[in-house]
Amino acid sequence: MSSHAAAAYPAIKPGLSKDVLAEALIARFGLVRDARDAWDLTLLAPRERLIEVVTALRDDAAWQFDTLIDLAGIDYLSYPGHDGPRFGVIYLFKSTVFNHRVKIKILLEEDDVAVPTLTGLYKIADWMEREVFDQIGVTFTGHPNPKRLLNHHEFVGHPLRKDYPCQKRQKLSMNDPLIDQMEARLASFGYTVLDRGEAQIAAGITVKGEGSVK
Amino acid sequence: MKVRTPQGDTLDLMTVNIGPSHPATHGTLRFLAALDGETIVGGVCEMGFLHRGFEKMVEQGTYSQVLPFTDRLNYCSAMINNIGFCKSVEKMFGITVPERCIVLRVILIELSRIIDHLVCVLANLVDLGALTNFWYFFNVREEVYRIWEKLCGARLTNTVTRIGGMYRDAYPGFEGDVLAVCGKVEAAIAEVRGLIEYNKIFIQRTKDIGIVTAEQAIAFGWTGPCLRASGVDRDLRKDEPYYGYETYQFDTIVGTKGDTFDRIFVRIFEMLESVSIVRQAVGKLKPGPVNAADARVSLPPRDNVYHDMESLINSFKLVYEGVRPPAGECYDSLEAANGELGFTIISDGGTNPYRIKVKAPCLTQWAAFAPMMEGHMVADVASALGSINIIAGELDR
Repeated sequence: MSSHAAAAYPAIKPGLSKDVLAEALIARFGLVRDARDAWDLTLLAPRERLIEVVTALRDDAAWQFDTLIDLAGIDYLSYPGHDGPRFGVIYLFKSTVFNHRVKIKILLEEDDVAVPTLTGLYKIADWMEREVFDQIGVTFTGHPNPKRLLNHHEFVGHPLRKDYPCQKRQKLSMNDPLIDQMEARLASFGYTVLDRGEAQIAAGITVKGEGSVK
Repeated sequence: MKVRTPQGDTLDLMTVNIGPSHPATHGTLRFLAALDGETIVGGVCEMGFLHRGFEKMVEQGTYSQVLPFTDRLNYCSAMINNIGFCKSVEKMFGITVPERCIVLRVILIELSRIIDHLVCVLANLVDLGALTNFWYFFNVREEVYRIWEKLCGARLTNTVTRIGGMYRDAYPGFEGDVLAVCGKVEAAIAEVRGLIEYNKIFIQRTKDIGIVTAEQAIAFGWTGPCLRASGVDRDLRKDEPYYGYETYQFDTIVGTKGDTFDRIFVRIFEMLESVSIVRQAVGKLKPGPVNAADARVSLPPRDNVYHDMESLINSFKLVYEGVRPPAGECYDSLEAANGELGFTIISDGGTNPYRIKVKAPCLTQWAAFAPMMEGHMVADVASALGSINIIAGELDR
């Protein structure tokens, strides 16, 4: 075991209260406070300003929302009395420096569900956005790997939409070979794939002139 | 697959699937590794093999019917899920549960954290071939399950809480059983520490394996013991205290490097802190009601139901329709065994939840697994995977 005592990690600093945060964000970006969240702080942001707002939330010295806690996609299709856009995505942020949290919500019309990706700002956004795409059908423009996360890759539709029947069954057959993701991963380290070889067979791609898998 | 390396050499990589059905994954997880000899050059993780559609299923029933489903999230510490969900719904109602219920919940949370960490560490050590530790820890876990049996009749899937309180009060002799188990946990930890703490094989298999720095852990949204193992001293029980955690004396355990060794020992020492919290909580346990006296969520006393019309209607409405949280969108979380467990609840004011989104603490750890393992040997996959404690039920929902 190490004989050096580790330097104590700085204690969490008191954060801004939700009203102070709301005031600052409303003044700076013209966001609107979501009346549906009566408990904490949710701010409605226009999709066009999402990257700008989130970058400021993460990098501003007074805020430092460095953790993306969760993404929640919502389909408002059957919400009683709802007359706004059909889909919503809530981004939950918290800070490891200050003791405060904020939620940013964007609303999306049914015929235009593309949201800019946050993968450049938070690494975990990659998987969380894949889940929202999978479950609700919101797409994230610029996402490096826009695949489903929870459901099978042959699955059709988005199960958490309110018009997806709960008991519907689908027949799914082949596993996702993942070779495309592996090749992208290797390429990011500077490797060039010359021959897929056995991986190609694992991927279910028939190779002419070769027999069974060695 | 044949590849050209950045240095210009031609290399034959072997792609190997580890999982989804593999003894060392302890669940249905799939890790595809591209190997150069025994070194992992690239890795890709897949999840979803245990996806049961939790978030779709819970929309079909009432809020109380969600509770048994939450048991099946992290089934190693089912009670924390029960309590986490009830706490979220109670936040929507604005209900404070009675003092006895709070203290009981703290005891149950901390005992659940202990058994969750026990399973994580013991399985991790079995993966390294250290089977003896398994028996020391599994025996104590069994003792805790005996308490669960007496408390609610179930072992793994407890459904022990209700919105606004508990399923029922603790049985006579509960405190004695809990205190007895505390001593056994400490004894088992002492035995296991004696076996592994200065064990050369254990240290060589875990030191500097799967290092995750503080920056990487935060970028991947880590919470809980894995984040603390990377040196980030953050714990919801300290930072955003709930259930009176600020009145308990305990330390957060922080690692220095964020390797497998740190993650295992953070859990081992956290169990000792949990034992201390349980002892303090037993001292605070005073007689009293366990259910909030709030007609919106709690059943009226049975005696009143037979003699008073309002109570009869109240009971009827709660049983046949269920509770109705106020319309709105609310998020609430607590420190579960794996990290921050949260529920985003969208209520339309009706008896069925409109939408529930679970913030599963495992997801962030599993997302970081492939980058964590690249450059390590294939034999290290098992030990590193065990140390981040992926529970497929919670991961895939």
